[in-house]
Amino acid sequence: MDEEIDTRKINNSFLRDHNYATEADIISTVEFNPTGELLATGDKGGRVVVFQREQESKNQPHRRGEYNVYSTFQSHEPEFDYLKSLEIEEKINKIRWLPQQNAAYFLLSTNDKTVKLWKISERDKRPEGYNLKEEDGRIRDPTTITALRVPVLQPMDLMVEATPRRVFSNAHTYHINSISVNNDYETYMSTDDLRINLWNLEITNQSFNIVDIKPANMEELTEVITAAEFHPNQCNTFVYSSSKGSIRLCDMRASALCDNHSKFFEEPEDPSNRSFFSEIISSISDVKFSHSGRYLMTRDYLTVKVWDLNMESKPLETYQVHDYLRSKLCSLYENDCIFDKFECVWNGSDSVIMTGSYNNFFRMFDRNTKRDVTLEASRENSKPRAILKPRKVCVGGKRRKDEISVDSLDFSKKILHTAWHPSENIIAVAATNNLYIFQDKIN
Amino acid sequence: MEYKVEAHRIMSISLGKIYNSRVQRGGIKLHKNLLVSLVLRSARQVYLRDYYGGICLSAQQAREWCEGEYMDSEQDKLVPGSTESLPESDGQSEVAVDKGEPINVVESPASLDVESQASGEQEHAENVILDSGCSDLKTTEESPEASATCEVSNVVTTISSNCISDPSPSNPKEATETPTDCQTDDSESVEENSHKPKVPRAYTNRKRSADDSELKDPLPKRTKVISPLLISKNDENKGETEEMDTSNVSSLITIFGSSFSGLLSSEDGAQPDSEVEDSDSGQICCDQMLKNLNPWSTAIVAF
Repeated sequence: MDEEIDTRKINNSFLRDHNYATEADIISTVEFNPTGELLATGDKGGRVVVFQREQESKNQPHRRGEYNVYSTFQSHEPEFDYLKSLEIEEKINKIRWLPQQNAAYFLLSTNDKTVKLWKISERDKRPEGYNLKEEDGRIRDPTTITALRVPVLQPMDLMVEATPRRVFSNAHTYHINSISVNNDYETYMSTDDLRINLWNLEITNQSFNIVDIKPANMEELTEVITAAEFHPNQCNTFVYSSSKGSIRLCDMRASALCDNHSKFFEEPEDPSNRSFFSEIISSISDVKFSHSGRYLMTRDYLTVKVWDLNMESKPLETYQVHDYLRSKLCSLYENDCIFDKFECVWNGSDSVIMTGSYNNFFRMFDRNTKRDVTLEASRENSKPRAILKPRKVCVGGKRRKDEISVDSLDFSKKILHTAWHPSENIIAVAATNNLYIFQDKIN
Repeated sequence: MEYKVEAHRIMSISLGKIYNSRVQRGGIKLHKNLLVSLVLRSARQVYLRDYYGGICLSAQQAREWCEGEYMDSEQDKLVPGSTESLPESDGQSEVAVDKGEPINVVESPASLDVESQASGEQEHAENVILDSGCSDLKTTEESPEASATCEVSNVVTTISSNCISDPSPSNPKEATETPTDCQTDDSESVEENSHKPKVPRAYTNRKRSADDSELKDPLPKRTKVISPLLISKNDENKGETEEMDTSNVSSLITIFGSSFSGLLSSEDGAQPDSEVEDSDSGQICCDQMLKNLNPWSTAIVAF
């Protein structure tokens, strides 16, 4: 018993001290906006950092649109729920961009309990020549004013400001795990462990509950909702995934409360792989529609699966992300790594899918050629502008020169969040507190 | 026995996680704790099955598990079932279990028949739970011994669950809760039932004699507790494990508070070598199993 406790302590301290500059800097979500011009990241400290792509210039053709910091703001603060004596973390769980409709950019960011709509706008002019106050803000003494003047707009240095336009709060008892903007650009949904709520972007004081899987008796709880997303083209359709490895597709036209699904996607469990941890590794951590809306991708602990919306009985394709971990589930359970929620992304044409793994590895699978590649996001192993070298994990037997053995994988370096540019081959990979942006090789 | 140690270890780790989640920043995470409780349940099933596997071998315990009248009715059920489908020796083993003579493990057909004869949803729940734990065991290590234990515990469970199925004033609460757990294990049961025919029929005596030395009488009735932890006092490595378990258990009790008040009072009485042989100790065994199902769900409800 004592050794087990020690192992736990060792693992915990290892995770705390190793490679974490500050815990608040750990990136918790990454998202491109619909045009790909902006890239937003949220971190554990409640901050949102927005990067903007440089305009391509003819003078420097080789610097093909790099991303620079555009705006930084504190989206959420730590809160305290006095009624339940619970602290509410400020960690940003998800960011979703709204389609651009005017000069300003809008995004939704959420922590465990509250969703906020932020407006990011540029200001490059400011009014000067007020009558009642000086330029620096001091109030002018009215008795000294002898003439009136009209304020005029003068150019100024570009300033990007972010203002919270809506705050959607007090609608979730459990922790929000996803938000998704509807194709109608008027509504969005927020999902917690047991309920999904539908909001209008303009109205903050009410929301509609569209899915509720809370059992009457909490002792009968068997599954929770882990992720949800609206269909990219059909504003009435959405899917949500569960901790039991199933996905339900619902149609909001069928009824106000979508507890009854229209489609149910589940692959029967392989009985030969049954173990103590079968339930944990079958829990789906992310679900994403393809851009076409025809396919669905789900990520559980060891695999990525692509489903055809027309076939509910089994997935179309299954990709093994890191099957060599299957024999290590017990130790991964001990150090809590088995609970890591990896995300998955499609590329713009839905031909390649990408997801993260441990040791700062991330994997890409080409659905057409059936080829896959493992790459590493690390400063030591790749210089800027160098081509990434494919990595390989050696499962057993002889280890070749460049391979890494399973036992030397660093489980504290995990890539949970990745994003792919909506149209180009640019990817953003979050490795703990570092953000890596990779682009296709030029020419 | 490695399953027992492994299962026990996983159980303690899971309990530690549930405890730590209470002090984590951001509140208790429902998803993670649900998964941990599922692991805890699987490990406990494996652990309890090993425990009962050891116990059912002893004739004395088998006799004392059920009240006299239960046993009579069960004997009527069991013996015909076993004699119909089994050769004479197995029939004897069935009867022997009833009458308290140590004999070979009953083969799977007997237990299958017994299960089919037994009535009540609760009993099915018990079998289902053990079945699902059984296949856990099967996958962790495919060996005849594992199957032997599995089948033994099937018989054991049938006997004990037959006790449960009889309505008794003291058990209405537990009886209603078993179906609840039955629901959660239903998904597993469908798969597990298909495994039954595949379970090998060969059994060995070796495990039985080893288990004999580890036999332990069921704990006193008021033990509402994490009895696997206490049960482990009878492991081969008794000495230190007992003390560590006791201290772990007592710390867990203080953590979980009233859910485990039964343990606090009974701990003094649950000495390592307690030889409590109540006449209704069989009943108590059933109660323990049922009561054990409760604290975990209570823990979940607390979230």
